[in-house]
Amino acid sequence: MSRRRRRQLPYSSGGKRPFWQRISTAGWLLLGLVVGLSAGLYYSWVVDPVVYINAGPSRLSEAHKAEYIFLVSQSYAADGDWPQAQQRLAALEDPNLAGTVNALLESYVRNLAPPAALRHLAALAQQLGAEGGAVAVFAPTAAALPTPTLASPLFLPTPEPLSTLTAVPALTSTATLPPQPTEVFTFQLLSQEQLCDLDGAPRIEVITQDVALNDVPGTAVLVRWAGGQDRFFTGFKPDRGLGYGDFTMSPDVSYAVALAEGSPEVSGLRVEKCADGRDGGWRLVFQKLSNTPGRDNGD
Amino acid sequence: MRQLRIPLVIVIGLALGLGLGLLIGWRLYPTEFVNATPAYLAPAYQQDYARLVAAGYAMDGDLAAAQTRLRGLGENGEAVLTAVMIDAILKQQDEPEIRQLVNLAAAVGINSPVMTPYLNQPPEGAP
Repeated sequence: MSRRRRRQLPYSSGGKRPFWQRISTAGWLLLGLVVGLSAGLYYSWVVDPVVYINAGPSRLSEAHKAEYIFLVSQSYAADGDWPQAQQRLAALEDPNLAGTVNALLESYVRNLAPPAALRHLAALAQQLGAEGGAVAVFAPTAAALPTPTLASPLFLPTPEPLSTLTAVPALTSTATLPPQPTEVFTFQLLSQEQLCDLDGAPRIEVITQDVALNDVPGTAVLVRWAGGQDRFFTGFKPDRGLGYGDFTMSPDVSYAVALAEGSPEVSGLRVEKCADGRDGGWRLVFQKLSNTPGRDNGD
Repeated sequence: MRQLRIPLVIVIGLALGLGLGLLIGWRLYPTEFVNATPAYLAPAYQQDYARLVAAGYAMDGDLAAAQTRLRGLGENGEAVLTAVMIDAILKQQDEPEIRQLVNLAAAVGINSPVMTPYLNQPPEGAP
């Protein structure tokens, strides 16, 4: 008790010591360090940050990167020098280059860029291994387009056996078959894929799009199967997209789907098991073709 | 004695902290430099960019777009184009590329006698 009282004597006689006198030497050093560090960081990050020159294309803004990729596609179209194009693209240091180029192509499609520009970008995306509707449409060869089953025998007259055509050689020794009219479709099949993420009964989903890959509502879709047929329209489920329409499938029935306005017929669509054992449906994407033949009408 | 020592300790702490802060901010973790324009590219990339602009102009004939892209290289965009073009001519590089460079250079108003032999093909996409 008395010892404690003696210790308190200086305070009681001289008053309470100011706070700065109670801070140790190490405390002052630490305080100075913290203040100096803060000032140094503020100066070096905000007031006078490092500004690099001699940057590579990977430092370009997104807009300039897009421009750079477009120019590489133009250059590649001009000289066909793929190693050089690869080297230039590698400078972007983009781990998902194919996806980036494909996304750029799709943005060009939506912005109605000239066909030549789309073709050049699509060729670049295709070389990079990108897959997508825009690449399938505008690349020099239709890559990544699933092979559709066209012109199902279900709706065509049964072809006659060849032997009946050659049974009278004396009359047709030099005859040639008349040219068959080429069927012109309003829509083309962009993609056909199995649906395994269904939240209900297996179904056929049809998506109709225009030339610029925008959804097209109100398109009549014909569905046929052995012993029956039906039709539905796209656009009645706008929450799934204006060009969307679907049809519930029954097991063990083979369906054929075509658009009423004219499209290749996709047949042999059945409920098939997915990898996880669930029943899967099908998704078909159709794209409206332009009225003018060919793709290069805008060059 | 303590009265004198405290300011000295503070100054030492400040100096150490400031030095450490600058070291971190300028060397160890400098400001992330993104969203650059082509003007910040290294000279080699700027020259390659000029070649790309020339190839683009050869393909689409869009002079306004080509000029905008050259301006993206900064004040010396045309100087970069000129240097690349003359370098390509003097080193007798790929002739189609030289023609692309010369055509763009002529279109933006660059004149040089070395361009003359290559000035006979308008861009494919030119109107």
